[in-house]
Amino acid sequence: MTVLLLAVLAFALAAVALTRRRLLWGVAVLGAHSLVLAALYFALSAPDVALAEAAIGFGLVTFVYLLAIRRTGRIAVAAVECRPLLYPEGEEVVGLVWELLELLAARTHRELELRWVERGEVEGLLSSREADLAAGDLVPSARETAFPRVPLLPTRIVRVRRGKGPLGAISGSREAERLPRGGRLFPRRGELLEALERGELGGAVVNLLELRSFYLRGTFRDAEIEPLEDADFVVLFAPDEGELAEALREIMTELREKGEWEELLRRYL
Amino acid sequence: MKRALTIALLATLLGILLFGLTDLFPPAEVRPWAEMARAYGAGNGVASIVLGSRLYDTLLEVLVFALAMVGVRYTLKPLGKWREPVVPERGVVREMADVLLPVIIVFAVYLAASGHLGPGGGFPAGAIAGSGLLLLAMAKGIERLSRELHEGTLEPLEYGTIAVLLVLGCLSIPLNHRGSGLLVVFNLLIGIEVTIGAWVVLHYFASHRGEI
Amino acid sequence: MAAQIGTVLGIGLVFLGFGALLLRRSLIWKLLGLNVASGGAIVFLVALSHRPGAVPPLSGYPEGTPSADPLPQALVLTAIVIHFATLALSLAYAISLTERFHTQETGRIEAAAEEEMER
Repeated sequence: MTVLLLAVLAFALAAVALTRRRLLWGVAVLGAHSLVLAALYFALSAPDVALAEAAIGFGLVTFVYLLAIRRTGRIAVAAVECRPLLYPEGEEVVGLVWELLELLAARTHRELELRWVERGEVEGLLSSREADLAAGDLVPSARETAFPRVPLLPTRIVRVRRGKGPLGAISGSREAERLPRGGRLFPRRGELLEALERGELGGAVVNLLELRSFYLRGTFRDAEIEPLEDADFVVLFAPDEGELAEALREIMTELREKGEWEELLRRYL
Repeated sequence: MKRALTIALLATLLGILLFGLTDLFPPAEVRPWAEMARAYGAGNGVASIVLGSRLYDTLLEVLVFALAMVGVRYTLKPLGKWREPVVPERGVVREMADVLLPVIIVFAVYLAASGHLGPGGGFPAGAIAGSGLLLLAMAKGIERLSRELHEGTLEPLEYGTIAVLLVLGCLSIPLNHRGSGLLVVFNLLIGIEVTIGAWVVLHYFASHRGEI
Repeated sequence: MAAQIGTVLGIGLVFLGFGALLLRRSLIWKLLGLNVASGGAIVFLVALSHRPGAVPPLSGYPEGTPSADPLPQALVLTAIVIHFATLALSLAYAISLTERFHTQETGRIEAAAEEEMER
């Protein structure tokens, strides 16, 4: 009877361990599986094997796996640079989104690991799970709406036209999908801005924050602006990171209830 | 083609394994081991096989273990050291480590020394001592512990243990020397070897860990 | 009865482990699958050593009580230790591969290695 119980438990734990998505969970459950196996050996009158399994299979093997995969205790962030939301300042990273991410890391007891990426890389990084979440200058494109997401700020996508010539947008973004035929794509916002200033483009499809940064630099003072659609800046999560998204949603609700969200907005925008 | 081959392989494996359930091969009579165990000076049937009638098997296994550790050293060494985070002086962990470590070491030595009488032996004893060292490393910081253990002397000690084991083993069978004393010495030497091996793995994985 | 249950569990674990080994794409997950399969093989052998109503192969039990077969248990003892050693070596290789190709997916590692060979 004991043997049957232990056998069912051992098989169930192994099945659970091997169907996890997160490596850390797999290793932890497999450790429990090893311990149950040790008890089973004892019940099958093999105390020598039970002792070896408990000391080596449960102790050392679990330790070795944990040491090898220690990096999975971090949140890998794919960051798309965007002034006031998420941008480097000297050696530091600052911005509205960065404050949120730090709260998220504190709540989930994990460390942040930031990597600056181009807008077009986001979808690939998330679907291959090389990044756990992506944030910054991020209005989800039609394909990216499949990922779990938490909306942060309402914005609007607008078409700005200043003269003759093709329109430009940042490749991979929602804005690029609203670009009329014959438009030109740029990997980074800086290059789009340079092309505009050189006069190669007759305008651009951008979101409100980009429009603001163009205004601040003096481009587009006398352009005609036509709104295309309302959208949100979001934080996008890898497909299996629903729990992380839930944690961020809770943080946002709490901030709104305490009124600290308005203060953050005032500080950065 | 690849898929068909895989399925065929798995089916063959299943067929072989299912023989364990049929009555075609009834479980063999357990050969009386008590006589043999007594001849080797052991009270534990498993120990008398591991350290007696199949001694060469065990010795070469220890050799394979040591070779694997050499492999770990040479694979991870070129990766460069990870900058170790500063270990805060965490009171509870350090105090507990100071209290627990002697207990763990004594238990490990007991397991190794009584392995020929009851369950235990050098392998689990070494693993337990290695886990104790890891506990200490968590409390003190792994680099500091490595300096205190004189990492440089561990490698010769490891190879020396192997050499003594192999020489003893190779001499004991032709000379037909048997007895409990020999088994205790074997178990202790194997325990030392496994402890050093476990420490090498834990140390190298913790300090040379690459991006994974 | 206990021996049969152990045998079935051993077969189940071996297949579960091999399934993960074949289906998973990440190196570390493959090693975890191998871990489970090796555990299955050990359970299988331990179950073979068991006899109905058997006591552990230790002296001190009264004469005439049936005892488990010590030989498979001795074989399995060495298997557990060697499994740890080979696992440590495989993980070291996995770390150094990840360091070089920045991924743990076997398909991508193969593609990157082929590319490197051509150069």
